[in-house]
Formats: sequence, C-alpha cells, structure tokens
Amino acid sequence: MSENVIEIRNLTAKYGDRTVLHDISTDFKRAEIKVVLGTSGCGKTTLLKHTIGLLAPASGTVNILGTQIGELDSPETMATLKRIGVMYQYGALLGSLTVAQNIALPLKMHTKLSNQLIEEIVRDKLHSVKLDIAYDLFPGELSGGMRKRAAIARALVLDPPILFCDEPSAGLDPVTSAGLDDLLKEMRDHLGITIVVITHEIESIKVIADSILYLEKGKVLYDGSLAEALKVTAGPLANFFNRVDNFNGAPAVKMQSKLIVRSTQ
Amino acid sequence: MEVIHLPKDIDRHWVETSSGAILAGTGPILLDFKDVESIDSAGIALVHILERTRSTEVESIRRPILDQIESTQQEIDSSKKQTKSPFFERIGTSFYNNFCEFRIALSVLVEMLYWGTIGMFERRDFRKGILGEQMYHLGYGALGITLALTFLIGVALAVQSAIQLKAFGADVFLIALVVQGMIRELGPLMAAIILAGRTGSATTAEIATMKVQEEVDALKTMGLNEIQFIVVPKFWALSATMPLVTVMAIMSGILGGFVVAFTMVGMAPQMIMDEFVKNIIVKDFVLSILKSLVFSWLIIWVGSYYGFRVSGGAEEVGRATTQSVVSTIFVIVVADAIFSFFY
Ligand SMILES: Nc1ncnc2c1ncn2[C@@H]1O[C@H](COP(=O)(O)OP(=O)(O)OP(=O)(O)O)[C@@H](O)[C@H]1O
Ligand SMILES: [Mg+2]
Repeated sequence: MSENVIEIRNLTAKYGDRTVLHDISTDFKRAEIKVVLGTSGCGKTTLLKHTIGLLAPASGTVNILGTQIGELDSPETMATLKRIGVMYQYGALLGSLTVAQNIALPLKMHTKLSNQLIEEIVRDKLHSVKLDIAYDLFPGELSGGMRKRAAIARALVLDPPILFCDEPSAGLDPVTSAGLDDLLKEMRDHLGITIVVITHEIESIKVIADSILYLEKGKVLYDGSLAEALKVTAGPLANFFNRVDNFNGAPAVKMQSKLIVRSTQ
Repeated sequence: MEVIHLPKDIDRHWVETSSGAILAGTGPILLDFKDVESIDSAGIALVHILERTRSTEVESIRRPILDQIESTQQEIDSSKKQTKSPFFERIGTSFYNNFCEFRIALSVLVEMLYWGTIGMFERRDFRKGILGEQMYHLGYGALGITLALTFLIGVALAVQSAIQLKAFGADVFLIALVVQGMIRELGPLMAAIILAGRTGSATTAEIATMKVQEEVDALKTMGLNEIQFIVVPKFWALSATMPLVTVMAIMSGILGGFVVAFTMVGMAPQMIMDEFVKNIIVKDFVLSILKSLVFSWLIIWVGSYYGFRVSGGAEEVGRATTQSVVSTIFVIVVADAIFSFFY
C-alpha cells in the first residue's frame, strides 16, 4: 500500500445555503494519477477548490502532505501550497503579464534564482508543452488550447510533488491531448508526482488513470481502481464508460413513473 | 372520476385551449388516449403536471407515446421545494449578510493600506514598471476630460454668480467666489467624480474579470496576495496622480471664471490678477490636495471591493461595475460633506 499524500475526510461544501458536496472522504496516493469524474455541475471544481484551501469547507478536513489545510494566509498552509501545482479549468493566466512572466511568477515569488536561470527554466517548460513561440505573447493573444498548455507549464514550474489539473484536455486536439497524457504519465513514473485530473475524455482516462473518483450530485458514487471501475456493469459509472464507447449503449436511466396505466394498445 | 377524451394530435394548440380547465380541476382524472397518434412537448408537460397534482390514470395508450412521456420524466426532489423562511430569520440573515459584506470591505481597506505602505518592503517586487504604466492609465488618461469639464463648470459658476452679484453691485467679488469655490470645493469634487467614473469602474471591471476567470484563485495558490498584486499599484498610481489632476482641474476651472469675468463682466486683466492673488490661500490649497488624496483612496477602495465581491459568471462583471460607480460617487460626496464641516 503506498502512502497517502492527500486525505479528505467528511468534506461538506456549501455555496450559501446550497450544499454542493456531501460528506466526501477520499485519498490520493503518491505517484498515482486519480481521475475525478462526474457530470457537469456535480462539484468537481468545487472539490478541487476546497482541497487546495481556496474555499473553506462547511465541515470536514483536508490534509495534504501531513498538513491540515486551513486559512490561506497561515504559514503552514502557504508552505504546503508551494508544493502544489494547479492548472485551472480556464487557464487563469494573468492577463496583464506575458506568458513568460506568468510562468516565471512562482519562481520569482518563492525562489532566489537569478533572472538568467529563471528565463532558462521558463523556456524549458514552454518547450515541454510545445509553446516556444508564445514566450513574449500575452494570454489574450493565445488560443484556448495554447492557454491551457501555458497554464500547465506554470503549474509545473516549481516541480511540485502534487499536481491538480481541471479539465486539461477539454478543447485540445487529439494529438496535443495525447501528448499531454504522455507528459502526465511521465511525471508520475519518473518523478513520482501525485496527479489529480478532472476530465471527461474517456480515452485519456483509460490511458492515464490509476484510480477513479466518480461524483454524482456531490456524493461519492465510486472510489477505486480503474480496472475495477471498468468491470462495473450497472449504474451511472457503467453508463459513463459504455456511453462514450458506444453511443447506442445503455439507455438513460428511467425514473419510476407514477402514471397509472390501465391499458396500452 | 373525470374522463378526458384526447384528440388525435395532442399539440401546443390543443393544450393552449384545453389545459386551463383540465388543470383547474382536482380529484382523480382518466385520460383516454384511444385516438391519440402524436404528442408534443406541451402535451407531455401537461401529463407530467397532472401526474403530480392529481391522481391520473391513462387508458388505451400506445407504447411509443407512453415511452415518450416517461423518457422525459424529471426527478422530483421534494427537499428542493423553496419554503419561505420566517420573518425574523430573514431579518437575521440579511443583517448577518450585511455584516459579512462590511467585514470584507473593511479587510480590503486594511489590506490595501497595509500592503501599500508597511508591507511594501516585505516581499520581492516583481512588477517594476507597472507603476508608471498605471499612472499613465489612471491619471493622465483622465486629464483631458477633467480639464474640459472643470473649465465649463468654472464658466457656468461665473456666469450665474455674475448675474447675482451685479444685482448687488458687487462685481469685484466674482473672482473671489470662483477661485475659492474651485479650490475648496468644486475642483477636488469634480476631479474625484470623473475619476470615479473612469478609474473606479475600470478597477472594478478588471478585478471582477480576474475573479471570474479564476486568476485571483491562481494568484492565491501561487502564494501571492491579490491585494498586493492588483490593488497596490493602482493605489500608488492614483495617490500620485490624483493631486496633480486636482490642481490642474482647479486651474482650469478658475480659468473658465476669468474668461467670463473678462468677456462678460468686462473686468480689466490687471484687476482679475490682483483679485486672484489675493484669494489664493495656501492653507486652502493644501487641504484641498489632502482631500483629493482621500478621495483617490476611496475610489480605489470601493472599486476593488466591488471587484472582489464578484463570484460567478461574466454577466456579474457589468453589474458590479455599475454598482461600483454609483457607490463610489455616493461615498465621495458623503466624504466631501463631512470635510466641509472641518474647514
Ligand atoms: N461561485 C459559485 N456560487 C454558487 N454556486 C456555485 C458557484 N460555483 C459553482 N457553483 C455550483 O456548484 C455546483 C458544482 O459546480 P462545479 O463548478 O464544482 O461543477 P463541475 O463539476 O466542475 O462542473 P464542470 O464539469 O461543468 O466544470 C454547480 O451546481 C454550480 O451551480
Ligand atoms: Mg469544473
């Protein structure tokens, strides 16, 4: 059994009065890629934001690398956050800085490296996501896919032991997205990084996922290995995998009708 | 039991005319589908509502039509039903919400002042050059329109006053009135109101957009303080440019007054100059610049507060911007009224 890097216990999250996550408990293990799945609006991004302390849970705890995540400006939380790379769903590059400045920002904040070294690191990272040409461009001048790749480069610039990716391949072409999968697997295998990926791309899930967390309406429906998940034959999870393999696969789940049918023709 | 014989096609037109009576009834109902060959969304919706509100039975229904009705069956989550909360609970909630808002606003102010002054030396400065850029955008960009407007206000003020003063034969006081009015009141106030509309709204829009696009979240996870990163450069840029803009606005307004005094009232240039020099009081001038400095902080504070308050989608950016401008102008005028008690 490998060691837990992130432990979430009984996490309940609310926006105002509306409970979005109900009593979530799960673990993320070292050097493992865990894919968070679920229909749109089920609370995946919300789970991510609570895990990294951007939002405070209504109840429950999050523990990352042995530190309990609390207020963002507490020193322990800050120190832990430095070791996490986050790629946001829409990139979240800072519009007032160039791509290179965006990627250099964490380095300038948290290290004392010289500008020459920083520039070299930035160029290396840009190259690893095939964005060499974007060095001096502003985020507004990039396409959606390029912005995502730049965001990944920024998330990786401090070589974090934990990486969160919110829909990394949505909107990317198949070639780039396969390249991204390779990059993630490489990081897991060679650097032992723990990676949490939110994605809907079935092909990519089958390639990269070690384990799967399936959320529905803010509750955990399945939490376990990919192999086991693929064996499930009924319910939403099976539906999810079947559906996309084969569009005529399982029909939508029917609700129990209260209509009293006396006779049919 | 009420029995309804349905027509061949249950379409929108039939539902439009017949649904009122059907839905108004209570008690069990039997829908006879014998003749029905097709049903559209309106028809399906009608059956769904009946199912929920009355005990409904169907007869002689064709399989495909039954499937159609059942496949769009929504899940009714009874826990979701909105119940109106009791009066006192609502009062309490709204009081608590206002209190939270107030706390956020206060923390933006405190952080802005802290990171703008003491905190400046605490972290590495990574945005060299941003200050000049911001000064150019926030201050210089607003100069032209501010000067034009205060000039016109100077003209209007002088014309109105000249008419009144003439009635008392007190023409010579015209210059005193315009100069003191501009320095003490209108110069700083007009400059602040124009910059509230321009700089305040731009600040809110920029921050709100960053919030919506998760840029603020990204800043936080990279360990940067969002106030320090976004607000402090604006704070300094406006603190530096606002007094300059105000001084020029005052001059421009006074110039407008001179033009009226010379052309309309027919005062001699020498006399205008004498009166002008006599009425410039250094203390007033300094206080007025201090006042404009406070206004500039109010503009940035309220502007950023409304920006950071946004959560959710792009449509909130526009709303926040409008609210921000209105509130900034309100706060400035209130502050101005308070100032007027002190000097
Ligand atoms: N800022 C917010 N304020 C209020 N409700 C929110 C907010 N953000 C999200 N929600 C609600 O929380 C629920 C979960 O949203 P979340 O963004 O976590 O979904 P998601 O699983 O990431 O969906 P997607 O796959 O579309 O990105 C949604 O029902 C949404 O309406
Ligand atoms: Mg999401």
